[in-house]
Amino acid sequence: MNDFNLLLAVFLLVNLIIALLRVARGPTDADRLLAALLFGTTGVAILLLLAFTADTLVLMDVALVFALLAAITGAVFAQRAWRMEGVEEGKDGNS
Amino acid sequence: MSSLILDLLLVIALLWSALRSLMTQDLFQAVVLFIVFGLLMALVWARLHAPDIALAEAAIGAGLTGALLLDTVGYLRKKQQESFP
Amino acid sequence: MAIPELLSSIFLVMGAAFFMAGTIGLLRFPDVYTRLHALAKVDNLGLGLIILGLLFQAPGLTVALKIILIWLLALAASSAVSFLIARRALNRGVAPWKAKEQKI
Repeated sequence: MNDFNLLLAVFLLVNLIIALLRVARGPTDADRLLAALLFGTTGVAILLLLAFTADTLVLMDVALVFALLAAITGAVFAQRAWRMEGVEEGKDGNS
Repeated sequence: MSSLILDLLLVIALLWSALRSLMTQDLFQAVVLFIVFGLLMALVWARLHAPDIALAEAAIGAGLTGALLLDTVGYLRKKQQESFP
Repeated sequence: MAIPELLSSIFLVMGAAFFMAGTIGLLRFPDVYTRLHALAKVDNLGLGLIILGLLFQAPGLTVALKIILIWLLALAASSAVSFLIARRALNRGVAPWKAKEQKI
């Protein structure tokens, strides 16, 4: 069972490395950030698999922090970093 | 066997994201690659049986610094737009 | 192989399949909105099935409740972030992708 968990972790890591391609080419900024969000989710899955494989259940706390971090990064990106272009302040966002 | 492959893939992805984060011209891409680097670094610490450092790296290295850098990119863009409309 | 281990393996493989589908979707889909759709599949079903599979391996009740809590947090975060990014993209004027035949 442990070998199977580890094999699945390797598979998810391969997925994650392939998703790095979207960071490199992605036409808009949102595409690059979406790859980072996918990294967060895949990281949660890999950490949970590792936690049950090596019987180090502390890793679940790290997974919890990963899940929280994805929310903070996405919210900061949408609210602060990716503003309107060519439109003055006050018109965007808070509709 | 598969744990060795896991470690090797982690090292390759870590080095690649670090190099790209340093070499790229686009500021936003560098920030996203820095966040990715922080997540991979937390995974590496977890593999090295150091879950406390992994927790700190995920919370501070990737989360807090990533959010602050994203905010900085937004501020710089706004400022650039104001000076060169 | 006992029944719980078999169920666990089946759910884990299904979750990994959803992760692969999400990665392929992120690479192949044409614009931001469709890529958000692919990412939502990973967050909801991929992580959900992985956690459902891991529930059969959980040593105690507290551990099981904790990983269910992780899944609920990921669900809430995913939906909120998807909504924020899609609204901002629409406000910025990123045009939704249309198939070639539908374009008049």
